[in-house]
Amino acid sequence: MRRSRRQRFAVNAIGVAAILLFAFPVYWMASTAFKQPGDVQTYVPKFLPIPPTLDNFVTAVTRPHFPDFLRNSLIVSVTTVLLALVIGLLAAAAVSRTRFRGRKFFLLLVVVAQMAPFEALLIPMYLIFRQTALLNQLPALVITYFIFTLPFTIWALRGFIDGIPIDLEESAMVDGASRWGAFRRVVLPLLAPGLVATSIFAFITAWNEFLYAYVLMQDTANFTLPVWLSTFRTAFGTDWGGTMAASTLFTLPVLVFFLLIQNRMVGGVTAGAVKG
Amino acid sequence: MTADGGAEANIGPAVTTVPPRGAPARRIAGVAPRRLLVYLPILPALVAFVVLLGYPVVLAVSISFQKMGLRELVQHTTVWIGLDNYRQILTDPTFWTITIRTIGFTAVNVALTMLVGTGVALLLGALNRWLRLALSVALILAWATPALTASVIFQWLFDSKFGVVNWALTSVGIFGDWTNHSWFDTGLSTFFVITLLIVWQAVPFVAFSLRAGILAISADQYEAARVDGASERQIFRRITFPSILPLFMILAFLSSIWDFKVFTQIWTVRQGGPAGETVTLAIYAYLKGITGAQYGLASAIAVVMVLLLLFLLIPYIRRLIRQQEAAAA
Repeated sequence: MRRSRRQRFAVNAIGVAAILLFAFPVYWMASTAFKQPGDVQTYVPKFLPIPPTLDNFVTAVTRPHFPDFLRNSLIVSVTTVLLALVIGLLAAAAVSRTRFRGRKFFLLLVVVAQMAPFEALLIPMYLIFRQTALLNQLPALVITYFIFTLPFTIWALRGFIDGIPIDLEESAMVDGASRWGAFRRVVLPLLAPGLVATSIFAFITAWNEFLYAYVLMQDTANFTLPVWLSTFRTAFGTDWGGTMAASTLFTLPVLVFFLLIQNRMVGGVTAGAVKG
Repeated sequence: MTADGGAEANIGPAVTTVPPRGAPARRIAGVAPRRLLVYLPILPALVAFVVLLGYPVVLAVSISFQKMGLRELVQHTTVWIGLDNYRQILTDPTFWTITIRTIGFTAVNVALTMLVGTGVALLLGALNRWLRLALSVALILAWATPALTASVIFQWLFDSKFGVVNWALTSVGIFGDWTNHSWFDTGLSTFFVITLLIVWQAVPFVAFSLRAGILAISADQYEAARVDGASERQIFRRITFPSILPLFMILAFLSSIWDFKVFTQIWTVRQGGPAGETVTLAIYAYLKGITGAQYGLASAIAVVMVLLLLFLLIPYIRRLIRQQEAAAA
């Protein structure tokens, strides 16, 4: 591709501008979080957090109930992942490795479930949890996030299992392994990357979810981190340093996990959509 | 989906040829239970779909035909009122204002997302290796940021007193003095910030997907076009765009669904304010249902919302199907 020098310069300039625009909000969050509290609210912004400090983070984690919120978020997210993974793996393995009447219907059900507008089910879910005395209880969130993430989990794991040649299991079974034994010793190890990617996706979904957590959890002690962050004006007033430190803490695990699986995300989401 | 066709035998070929170790015990159980055993692994998922998804859907539709408030809830009474909830919504001018606002909001967000997303996808291809890597990292940062964090960050960026945006606009000089400008005083201005925030987060996925689509186009086509002396613009119009059009449509379709029902960003920024000017259908359903405890009415809003979304997306869906058929032919 031959381009004149001027065109090259223009493209690079647009590129740099795009980099700055997309990275800046995240940079500004982290930068604000590490600034001296006195340097946060200035009429002329300070662009570098020099000298950096952890003061804002100390403010954030010593807010009332912070350990509760963190614990709630972790419990809910991890339980959701485990539940979705076990039940999803069973279904995915069955769909991928056995043939049964109604298999196509089941797959269709998974696709439809994946597209379900969960926001529209807020009222019935709220009423169901209310009637079963689960309102304001963490299990209500686990159940909700489990059903959010199950369709994707089944779909993704089925794709990963389909990618593992069935010959491997067959030869293990010729050597005397049971069907389950062959699956456990041959397929499961090969499936590890797929399991990790799928778990991370489910974890992020549960960790980030706001609407249901906001509606279903009513006592402050049962809030998850997103619900707490959404009320940052109550928690921090106008302390943007503390708010940004709390936001950074909440965002950091997601960023790390996301970087681990971002290669699979692009194909994954659209593949599910196309197949439907 | 081709793998599903035909072979609907009860058990996969692997099992029938190789007797599993536990076979004798199972043989005693007889043929029928064994056949049902195949369903055991999908049973938990199936039950979950029926109980946690099917039942709420049925309940949503059912209570949309009921008078259902706190009183009915506490007394466990069911008061059927037919289409009254729907009549009340559809004859309420507020509902129509909010509906049109939601459609407009979705259209603007999707259009901007697709436009910028396509631009960024092309930009990724035009940049040198290092800039491309840097832009990819920047995009991943925007994409990975939780919607809630993004909503909080943007409020800080657009803070009236100490926000960096007001400072930057004032410093540039040509835009006048933005000191202490409040971005959240009017609905339009609040929507402006919300749209920026949504587009900022939505562009990376669109850009990366389109970039993957562009990379999948064979290099020969470009080569041939260049040999024939086509300009870059012609190449984009004649080769790149037609090739990624199906993907483009799917991404626009997904973006429409996501933006139409978005809740977190709008709620976190101003709870539908100022003065209800940024209330969209998702916020409206929440306000009626959870805040106002009018569960029947809110369910009817949710049902109308889903139907409306389906209706608005019919042209898209038909086009997608046609494209799939064309691709299969």
